[in-house]
Amino acid sequence: MNTLSMLWAVVLKELRQTVRDKRMMALLVAAPLVQLVMFGSAVQLDVDQVPTALVQQDHSAAAREHARRVYSDGTLARTRTPRSADDALRMLETGEAAAVLFIPPDFARDQARAQRPRLQMVLDGSDPNRANVAANAVAMHLQNESVRAPRLGVESRVLFNPGLSTSIYMVPGVSAMLLLLVTTVVSSMGLARERERGTLEQIQVTPLPGLLLVLGKIIPFAAIGLLDFVLAMVVGAYGFEMPIRGSFALLLLATAIYLVNTLGAGLLIASLSASQQQAFMGGFLFMLPAALLSGIMTPVRSMPSWLSPLTVFNPLRHYAEILRAVLLRGAGASELAFQLSTLAVLGLVICCFAGASFRRQQG
Amino acid sequence: MTPAVGRILALADKEVRHVLRDVRTLYLALAMPLVMLLLFGFGVSFDLEHLQVAFVDLDQTELSRTVRRRVLADDGFDDVGLLADGAAAERALVAGAAAMVVVLPHGFSRDLARGRRASVQLLLDGSDTVSANQARARGESALRAIIASLAKVPAARAASRLELRTVTRFNPAGKSAVFLVPGISAYVLAMVAVLLTALTVAREWERGSMAQLFATPVARFEIVLGKLLPYLVLGMLAVLLVIAVGTWVFEVPFRGSPWALALLSLLFLIGMLGQGLLISVVTRNQMVATQVATMSSMLPSMLLSGFVFPIENMPTALRWISRVVPARYYVAGLRGVLLRGNGLGELWVEAVLLLAFGALMLALSTARFQRTIA
Repeated sequence: MNTLSMLWAVVLKELRQTVRDKRMMALLVAAPLVQLVMFGSAVQLDVDQVPTALVQQDHSAAAREHARRVYSDGTLARTRTPRSADDALRMLETGEAAAVLFIPPDFARDQARAQRPRLQMVLDGSDPNRANVAANAVAMHLQNESVRAPRLGVESRVLFNPGLSTSIYMVPGVSAMLLLLVTTVVSSMGLARERERGTLEQIQVTPLPGLLLVLGKIIPFAAIGLLDFVLAMVVGAYGFEMPIRGSFALLLLATAIYLVNTLGAGLLIASLSASQQQAFMGGFLFMLPAALLSGIMTPVRSMPSWLSPLTVFNPLRHYAEILRAVLLRGAGASELAFQLSTLAVLGLVICCFAGASFRRQQG
Repeated sequence: MTPAVGRILALADKEVRHVLRDVRTLYLALAMPLVMLLLFGFGVSFDLEHLQVAFVDLDQTELSRTVRRRVLADDGFDDVGLLADGAAAERALVAGAAAMVVVLPHGFSRDLARGRRASVQLLLDGSDTVSANQARARGESALRAIIASLAKVPAARAASRLELRTVTRFNPAGKSAVFLVPGISAYVLAMVAVLLTALTVAREWERGSMAQLFATPVARFEIVLGKLLPYLVLGMLAVLLVIAVGTWVFEVPFRGSPWALALLSLLFLIGMLGQGLLISVVTRNQMVATQVATMSSMLPSMLLSGFVFPIENMPTALRWISRVVPARYYVAGLRGVLLRGNGLGELWVEAVLLLAFGALMLALSTARFQRTIA
């Protein structure tokens, strides 16, 4: 038997074994999709509907009109009406309100007399972002109220994602993360299970070279990874209206290089661990920093300056950047040369380590 | 001591020996939360310090150059170059070289001098929404301020007729770590607690030692409690560690009642350990158990707990689901105690809900134990 047909035999056996195991298939295909949909729809980073209590101490019609307009654009949401100023502050403490807006007595009268009427806001700063949004909403309202000639305009145009939809931003990144989960963690645990059960040794007495065997075990996961990727793109495009502006062939190429990284990492972890538990923890230890330091959730730019250079060694970062660039910005291979080549080099290095570690294991 | 308590303690003792012999469990329980907390605490931040800004100066006057110089004088904006035209700007954005391009149009300074409406355009890379949102807010306000000062527009005059005074409580410096660390702690603890029991009990099933346990005269509920107790102690240690690191390294205040925090943590851990136990009882397979455990603990406690992503903005269906996610109540409790100085007086609803979840998980695990042995 030549090498290729031997490899094919192993791949076929593994594929059958995996596809037959319904729970495994659910984990490999259904679970990632569920997660994708959850991430795509749950994550909304733009803040609105900040629960804001209103303490209206001026009951004039003008003051009421002010209050109505502050709430009118939906950034702030009315809570129940507090009984008193103290009660409003209490609501801030219990978390029932995130901001309190005071309209002081004589507010309207001061305004009529041009006496600098004052509004007061008390904010719950525990979520700084939300506090800023609430304060800005009121500040904007005040700016609109004060009449002045519009002499300068700053006009912003958001490219690639004009509605600044968080789903479109999250879906590519989350797809990259899920591929890592499926390929690294599951493949390393699968190999570790064989070791735990001793089936790996059984097959080792067959005339198959060790690395070929491992390769045969890994390839089905690569196939499932590619399938997951295509599914994720379909769900992203149809479920979340994510655009696919660049070349799909480039995406597939990048995904293949990325899978070399993730499966190599899975192999490395499996070769270093004696049990499924160890493999899982190893996979986890790899996945967590990779996911956090990839720019998927929070921009790499906002990390501390000692941390952000380290992300160059993170395959997930490069792959997520490629996905976003190709899908949303329509970038081509020339713009992504750095990411693609780094990803390839990282994959090579990981695979070398994995191969060496595996051979040492087999003694 | 009643015989039941004796049996539970004996089981717990056996479990403690397992844990002490296997350093990896200790590592999972104590080192992993710390590593995760540090990683998240440093790695997750929405405070953008540096934004790459490019300029397209079509005006080419002294004034337009001054605008550019003034914008770049701000440490928060990093200069990535002066581009020739709009097409070059688009290319820079596609390549990801700039997060924002400021376009100063033809006749910009002339319009400004004549008191006509002079407009500046900001082009933003929307593929990164977090950066785009911040870039827009900061870019617009910086440009407005700079241009107003250059054009000597009395912008402040009219605006000062109405005044807003704001007071920010609980986190006046607006640090994102203070906000995130309580949420991260809940997330980390949820995951570790579920994994602890999910893994260890599933292993007993796989190895067949669970069947041996059933042959002894121990009641199912006693097994559940005996398994739970040692991990509860470990979990509480992890809570202590996480809170200590949070307050020392990330300077999160501790304003409220330590007893409320301890009680909430205990109830939350019981719920999470119970969930892990239930998973291992149902799956009986380590690989499936870990996957189900991470899925069912990591995902909801990250997405639906309000830890980073505000619950108010979610679709209605997800808002409803978030009500049965215990991490949501624990995050609220931690923030209440640590930042807002709450005690049980404010947080009893959270405590009751966590208690209910814990009781439900323990009851379900016990019930499943019985059915499978018959």
